[in-house]
Amino acid sequence: MSEIQILNVSKTYNPGLFKKKIRAVNDLSFEIRRGEVFGLIGPNGAGKSTTIRMLLGLIRPDSGSILFRGKPLGTATIQREIGYLPENPYLYDHLTLLELLSFCGQTSGMVPEQIKVRGFELMVKLKLLEAQKRPLRTFSKGMLQRAGICFALLHDPSIVVLDEPMSGLDPIGRKMVFDLILELKEQGKTIFFCSHILNDVERLCDRIALTNKGELIKQFEGGDFLQDIDKTVFLHTSSLDEFQQQSVQSLGGSVRLEGEGHLLAISADNYHPVNSYLEKSNIKILGCRSEWMSLENLFIQTVKEQDQ
Amino acid sequence: MKSVFALATITYKEGIRNRSLFGIALLALFLFGFNITVAGFFMRDVGKVTVDMNLSALSFAGLLLVFFVGVNLMAKDIDRKTIHLVLSKPISRAQYIWGKYLGIQFFISVSLLLLFVFSCLTVGLLLNLYPNYFIGFSWTNFFIACFFVLVKFSVLAAIVVFFSSITSSSLITLIFSISSYVVGITIEEVVFYLRSEFSAQEKIISESLQTFIDIVSYMIPNFAVFDFTLEAAHGLVITSQRIFLSFGYGAIYISILLMLASLIFSRREFN
Repeated sequence: MSEIQILNVSKTYNPGLFKKKIRAVNDLSFEIRRGEVFGLIGPNGAGKSTTIRMLLGLIRPDSGSILFRGKPLGTATIQREIGYLPENPYLYDHLTLLELLSFCGQTSGMVPEQIKVRGFELMVKLKLLEAQKRPLRTFSKGMLQRAGICFALLHDPSIVVLDEPMSGLDPIGRKMVFDLILELKEQGKTIFFCSHILNDVERLCDRIALTNKGELIKQFEGGDFLQDIDKTVFLHTSSLDEFQQQSVQSLGGSVRLEGEGHLLAISADNYHPVNSYLEKSNIKILGCRSEWMSLENLFIQTVKEQDQ
Repeated sequence: MKSVFALATITYKEGIRNRSLFGIALLALFLFGFNITVAGFFMRDVGKVTVDMNLSALSFAGLLLVFFVGVNLMAKDIDRKTIHLVLSKPISRAQYIWGKYLGIQFFISVSLLLLFVFSCLTVGLLLNLYPNYFIGFSWTNFFIACFFVLVKFSVLAAIVVFFSSITSSSLITLIFSISSYVVGITIEEVVFYLRSEFSAQEKIISESLQTFIDIVSYMIPNFAVFDFTLEAAHGLVITSQRIFLSFGYGAIYISILLMLASLIFSRREFN
């Protein structure tokens, strides 16, 4: 079932007099299903943040519509269901984390006891308990990011919108947030996730949409990138002709173009017959790879193609 | 309503913990101290000078509070995009405006109340030192004058909120608010002058300019309405009608500004 539907949405910014209008989002359509982790990726200026802001009602689309559980945004109370973490959250300098969470809870209709319990739980999980009474201006960038996550999750929202959640985090912080997202996924939350760290997107998302210049380029299923690496060998070979490709495929291997040559994916069971064929046909092996296709390669390739 | 108070509370806390507040309070305390030191030079007029200086110190401190702290309490939210986080919660745009205003208002009230206590101590001390020169002095008039200093800054705070709702930069909000204040404290004198017989001798004042100034005088808040310094300093009678009219004018002006701000803010987009 669709939780959020973005239907033919366009948005143009007017930077002011005598300046060219900027088309941030152009006829964008996709849907986010209940309980899935949906990743929106794209280069800077692809319209990711604009899409999120339209979803939150901070800006209005010029055309198209956004539906939340089948109802238009204006009539739906999405704010009660949503937890939002912006990229580089700017929080109130002179407030403490406890005060910030208390504000968040009160505006979300929580009672003080609930705020206390849930706040404590999140602060423990995100390792902010010791800093709970410190003014937010004394927090490091990573701590502010984690405080922003606490703010987004306090009212236990069913949809979590994360705009670059790993930005500014050290490897330990990243792991912490990564595990938290996995935990939210297990709890059945719908997660809408924007990030430039494609490795995280690849590992976390059930579905991924690639945007560039405000347009949707491609949508992928998470499985498109994940292979059972333990049981598969990826070999980079010299270029294969049509017949050689068919022969490899008939022996149980998969073939795709990779630079000047080809990349073969061979399961452990089929490795010997394919290898014998490669030796017999004098096909040169140039190296091996750890994955079939990375999101990063695909991202760069697609964006380059579109720019041309 | 709960959301409005939650927002007002954090706005108040954010304001009251601002370090500029200490500077402003110290400056006001210095002015009170200065008043005690120089009071002896004025002898016969010591009562009038004391009241005048105390009300001026309160006004000056209030002005600094609104312009240096109050402006940032809302405009910085928009400047730094903190508003994205706040509006992602179930808070309507109108609730945001009223919450912010109440927070700023509460912050100004508490700060001025503290300075008011010191001001009363200063006046009380000088009253005891020079009782013969405080003829006609009335504490009631002094309290009324102090209360209207607060009303004046409540109106100014509403102006700050109004301009914050239409601009994206705290600097522009500051410039517009200062301009409104300067025009607001002088507009009454300008209008009086134009209606006086002296203005008839001035050939350069065209009718269209006069009409323009008339229109502006209705739009810009007339801050002179809240000035009770003369009455407090000279012990003149303050009628209840004037108190009621001045307070009503302030309350209506604030309500209209906040309603307009809510209307504009609810149509605004936050990039």
